[in-house]
Amino acid sequence: MDGLFSQVAVLGSSGVLLCAIAILWRHGVSGYISAFQLQSNVLAVLTAAVAYFGHDHDLYWVAAMMIAVKGVAIPRLLTRLAHRVGQTHDSEPIVNAATSLIISGLLILLAYTAARPLQALSAAPTRAGIPLAIGLIFVSLFVIVSRKQAISQVIGFLMLENGIALLAVLATYGVPLVVELGVFLDALMGFLVMQIVLYDIHDTFNTIDVDVLKRLKH
Amino acid sequence: MFNATGVVIEIAQALLGLAVAPALVGLVGWVKARLQNRRGAPIWQPYAELRKLFGKESVVSSNASWVFRTAPYVVFGSTVVVALLVPVLVTPLPFNQVADLFALVYLLMLGTFALALGGLDPGTAFGGMGSSREMTIAALSEPAIALAILSLALGAGSTNLGEIAARTIAHPTVALSPGHILAFAALFIVMLAEAGRLPVDNPATHLELTMIHEAMILEYSGPLLALVEWASWLKLTVFLTLAANLFVPWGLATSLAPSALAIAFVTLLAKLVVLAILLAIFETRVAKLRLFRVPELLAMSFVLGLLAVTSSFSLR
Repeated sequence: MDGLFSQVAVLGSSGVLLCAIAILWRHGVSGYISAFQLQSNVLAVLTAAVAYFGHDHDLYWVAAMMIAVKGVAIPRLLTRLAHRVGQTHDSEPIVNAATSLIISGLLILLAYTAARPLQALSAAPTRAGIPLAIGLIFVSLFVIVSRKQAISQVIGFLMLENGIALLAVLATYGVPLVVELGVFLDALMGFLVMQIVLYDIHDTFNTIDVDVLKRLKH
Repeated sequence: MFNATGVVIEIAQALLGLAVAPALVGLVGWVKARLQNRRGAPIWQPYAELRKLFGKESVVSSNASWVFRTAPYVVFGSTVVVALLVPVLVTPLPFNQVADLFALVYLLMLGTFALALGGLDPGTAFGGMGSSREMTIAALSEPAIALAILSLALGAGSTNLGEIAARTIAHPTVALSPGHILAFAALFIVMLAEAGRLPVDNPATHLELTMIHEAMILEYSGPLLALVEWASWLKLTVFLTLAANLFVPWGLATSLAPSALAIAFVTLLAKLVVLAILLAIFETRVAKLRLFRVPELLAMSFVLGLLAVTSSFSLR
């Protein structure tokens, strides 16, 4: 039972991480959005699985909220945003796809070494997934720094939030529901603020390519 | 099981692979045609093609040397040896001593190398272009294959094919482990690249700009072409058999009892048919990638392999 639980945990974490890696390989904002949507849904399923195996009924609520907010609402808002600012195709990222895939692989290895002490501390059956969650945080940060479109950076930020949620679920599947919801609302507020700022940037500059923002406008 | 029966079965396995390969390719083609609302050639069409080609004479360019003439035999021979090594029906067999994953990969590489030489030898533009592309793809898929193999070997504690299959039969939960599944995904991508299937190379066209495998064998005709074609079909069959028996090994016979052999035969055919239909659906869904995006695909496969290795390493 325990063996199956840890394997399901690692498999789910791998799935969540692979969705982040898929972003490095897809071209175009719609691909990014669908990858993020898939990632949120996999994360919700994994949370429900942890709730089932860990007998923690609060987590079912968290999973349901994840599907409602991150799996349905935010992707829709993102799609609307992308259409509004006329941004359907990402410009060439700073590093090309093959290199960024290799870099993400190295980041995951780094996450494995960084998570060693954490894994040694934890006795939970889900501990094998912890390095993958940290790897997801690293890869999301890499997405944020290597893309030029503000909208892709926002998606990177949302993935980072998913990574933090995954880490919380795996490392301590007993986070009080209040804390979980607080993090959740935080991310939602952050996203809404970013959306407004993006609209503003688009109105001012007629583009959301961050390279253009270096030019001063008055 | 060092006895005559084992050797006979071993040889029968390779012959079975040779016999099934054209039908498998025909099935993939037929399912693809059906999915595209065409009637499609019958499943036994490749057999007819082989018969036709073996009946014709071989026309060889006057610029071609002995390399051109021997390459098909090397390709065919190395692929048949691989078919002898793969556990098709029974897992512990006499040749299993040398049935190592590394040996298998490099035997297939030998065939690729010989074919690339055969493409270069007559000195036509297309042959050289195809060979250079094939070599590029082979070099890129190398690290991905090595990592996927390493992940499987870490899980089973051995790089021996029979050992890996036997271990998966003994511990069914291993098949659910992330290392196993990720390694399968990595190996599947590499398999598509190596067998010259769709996202990398389209086996159905002769369009100059996109040819890889077809460009290399453009100069071949008659029996030589038949050998090359048959070898490439057999290669696909071997890959599918490997995928079926390393990752879903149930149904493999562990003894030489006739009933077990019959069960193994039926399950193998069922697995191959399922895989062929999946391959056809996949090929209908994806478009061919630009050649310059192939490295990205193989880098993806490499990252999958890396994830597989790290997760099987941490779960050991």
